[in-house]
Parts: sequence; structure tokens; C-alpha cells
Amino acid sequence: MREGGKVIELSSVALRYGTGPEILREVNLTMQQGDLRFLTGASGAGKSSLLRLLFLALKPANGSAKLFGQNVSSLRPSELPHLRRRLGVVFQDFRLLDHLSVFENVALPLRAMGQKPEAYAHDVMDLLDWVGLKGRSADRPDTLSGGEKQRAAIARAVVTKPELILADEPTGNVDPAMAKRLLRLFLELNRQGTTVLLATHDEQLIKQAHGKALHLEGGSLRAA
Amino acid sequence: MTESNRQIPAPVFPHGAAPLRSLTVTMAVMCYLACLAIGALVLINQAASAWTQGIAREVTVQIRQHSGTDMEQQVAKAVAILKATPGVVASEALDKSAGAKLLEPWLGKVPLDDLPVPRLIRVTINEASPPDFTALEKRLAAQVPVASLDTHRRWQAELSRMADALSLLAVFVLGLISLASVMLVVFAARAVLESNRSTVEVLALMGAENRFISRQNDRQFLATGLIAGFAGLVAGLMTFAGLYFLGGASADSMTEAGRSLVFAPAAVMLRVMGALLLVPIAATLIALWTSRITLSRMLRTFA
Repeated sequence: MREGGKVIELSSVALRYGTGPEILREVNLTMQQGDLRFLTGASGAGKSSLLRLLFLALKPANGSAKLFGQNVSSLRPSELPHLRRRLGVVFQDFRLLDHLSVFENVALPLRAMGQKPEAYAHDVMDLLDWVGLKGRSADRPDTLSGGEKQRAAIARAVVTKPELILADEPTGNVDPAMAKRLLRLFLELNRQGTTVLLATHDEQLIKQAHGKALHLEGGSLRAA
Repeated sequence: MTESNRQIPAPVFPHGAAPLRSLTVTMAVMCYLACLAIGALVLINQAASAWTQGIAREVTVQIRQHSGTDMEQQVAKAVAILKATPGVVASEALDKSAGAKLLEPWLGKVPLDDLPVPRLIRVTINEASPPDFTALEKRLAAQVPVASLDTHRRWQAELSRMADALSLLAVFVLGLISLASVMLVVFAARAVLESNRSTVEVLALMGAENRFISRQNDRQFLATGLIAGFAGLVAGLMTFAGLYFLGGASADSMTEAGRSLVFAPAAVMLRVMGALLLVPIAATLIALWTSRITLSRMLRTFA
């Protein structure tokens, strides 16, 4: 890792959709390798937009945004896949592909990286076992409950052992016991050196993790 | 690991999605129409060539009745001139009854003894080296003034003109079908990719290279193009076969056209099949080309 282990480095970042108003303004955020942060804020405060910027779906309108020391505004299209593979993303709406089984959904990032089923099948099944979905590996996502979909989405985000995990409300649809279990997964990955940024409304989750929270309000970010 | 997980991974893009099914059906119909147009084009050219060859192989000499001349003598004289003419393979004087038979459709079965019915001489010529018709006409006029030479050139020209017009019409129809097919396939391919936008986005955001996404996309459009193309081709051939089998053996109808296409000699059949095989290949290439362009535009929006 370059730049002394800085994973995220946002400096005076502004973000807007098209010619619309600024969703984020003057956002400054630095996360080192191995950091764990929670991102809080009311609905519409810009949490998902900030995550979209970080998982390279959007580019900043102003300011400097660096991931792993690379300025995201000046990345060539050919450099994007390599950088995106260092990220694990849990989307708020899961984004599972309904025509693929749970196993195939979770294995998709590995398949996209060119790995063969025989190489990843065992690891994927272990991961599904860990999130409690081993018995549903052959089922389609549209037959899963909200909580099961969430767990499948988390398994897909972590299957490549990414260096940075960005999760949008990862425990929003699960019961407290499962939320605790999923939190343990994120904490374990963090303990192993993975940088984790979780957007959540769940104050209990933040307390359980003894994590640092960042609060987004009116498009600006401050320590909670 | 379950048994299903050991199998070949499922296609990343859903193969049975509704827009893809619509694209397959649309392409199959357009391929079918293209096959019909190509088949018709081949048939018209084949038939025109057969007709003109038949006409070009024969000419007719007519000996008119004239008072004071011996008809049989005039016929014999004309046959002798024809036999001595280079390029004439055979000449056969038709008897009176043959002439009467030719008039039957117009006059009915009536005695023609009192009518000045001309005598006809059927002349077979060497197509590769035909006689000098102008010189032959002059010789006949000098030695048998009641003879006239009919080379069927006017009919031949009429037939050629008609065949050319029909060919042009078939080419025009084929062109229109091709244009409509391209537009429909372009439109439908865009609709298919638009329905897969979220899949493409998920793949791009998880770090899949454009090459990988393109390959997955190619697979679905390759399969669609080939299935639709061959479905259209088979339906087209079945139509020509059906025209023959359902229509009986009447030689003056489309059944003959169907027969000549379905049961054509091997060499002709190979040529026809070669032309028809271009349809699924072209359909597949158009589908692939369109989808690649649309996909690459879509991928740029995620970069």
C-alpha cells in the first residue's frame, strides 16, 4: 500500500448529480489501513452518495479524492477494474442477480477475476456456511428473505478478501442476533487488517463495536 | 458443495429474459423473410435462364402458302438450305397436322384443308456457334421467297426483361428486409442490454474487466443470432418444401418453383444453401456488432 497506508483520503470533496445542487460539500476524510468507521446521518444526508463516490461509481465535482493513494478523478478506465477489486461493497439494495443461485452470486466477483469454479467452490461454501446460507446455496435470491439477501450480499462483498469494505446499512434487514453475528464478521475482517466503513442508523451496533462514528448532515461530514 | 455448484457456471446475463426472447422471435421472422427473398431471387434467375436457353436453342422457319407454288417443294428446298448452313444441328419439317394442332387453341377442331395454314420447320442450332441469321435469312429470301425465319429474339428479349425486372424486385425486397432487420435488431439489442444494465453495473463495480463483461454479452447474442438465424432458415426451406408437397405436381405454379429449389441438383443446391446460410451468419454478426457498440457505450458511463 502506498502513501503511508492511507486507504481513503478525501480533501474538500464536493459531489453533485449532473447540474443539480451539491449533495456533499467540503468533505474531508482520512482512513488508514485497518481503520473501522461508522457513517451515520439522517436519510437523505448523503451517506449512500459518499459510499458511491468511494466505490468509484461517481466522481467528485470538486476537491481531491484518493483511494489507496490514487486520485480517482484522473484514473484511466483501464485502471478502474484493478482498483475496484481492492474494494468489497455491500449495496443497500443488495444488487443480487436474480437469475443466478446464491452460490453463483457470491462467487461472481471471483469468476469476474478469472478464477475457475473448482478453485473457489470450497471457499464460497465455507463463507455461505459462516453467514448461515449453506443450505440455501442453490436457491435463487428472489426466494430469500430480506435478511438472507443481506447476508448473501455481505458474503459476496467479502469473498475476495478486499482491503476496504464499504457497506451501506449492512444490518438493516436482519434480527439483532444476526446483526451481532455480521458485525463480528466485519470486526474479524478489520482485525485482520481490512479497512471498514459502515453506513448505518443502528446506534446499538456502533456501541457494540466501540467504533468511531462520522456524522453526515446537510452534506458536510463531522466526527460524531 | 452441492451437485449444482459443480456444474458449469450459469450465464451471467439471463438467457431467457423477455427482451431477449422478443429479439430472438423478431430476428427469426426477419431471417425467414430474407430466406424467402433469397430463394425467390435464385428461383427467378434459374427459371429465366432455363427459359431463355430453351428459346435460344431453336428457331423456326415458316413456309407460307402461295398460289402457284408447290408447298412440299418449297419445304424441301428450305430444309436443304438449312442443312447446308453451318451452325444448324438439325432441321425437321412439321407435317400439316402439327400446324393444325398449334392452331387448335384458337380455332378448335375444325377441318383446315381449305385454309392457307403455313408449314413449319423446327431448326435446332448449335448454341455455342450459332448460324449467321442475317445471311441465312437472305439465302432463304432469294431461293424460297415464301419462307420467313423466326429467331424468337423478340420473345427472348421480353423474357430477359421480365426476369431482370423480377430479379430487381427480389433484390429490392431483400434490401428492404435487410434494412428493416438491421434496424429491428439494433433496437431490440439495445432493449436487451438496457434490461441488463443493473447486471452490467454490478459486474463493473465488482471489478470485472470490460473484456469479461463483453465475453458474457457476446455469448448471449451469439446464441440468439444463431438460434434465430437457423430457425428462419429451416422455416424458409420448409416453406419451399411445403409449396411443392402441398401444391401437387402442377408445373405451371409455385410448386414447380419449390420443387426446383428443394430438389435442385447438388451443385445448385449447394449454391442456394450457401446463399441462405449467409442469413443466420449475417443476423448473428449484426446482433453481435450492435450489442458490442451498445455495451461499450454503457460501460463508459460506469467509468
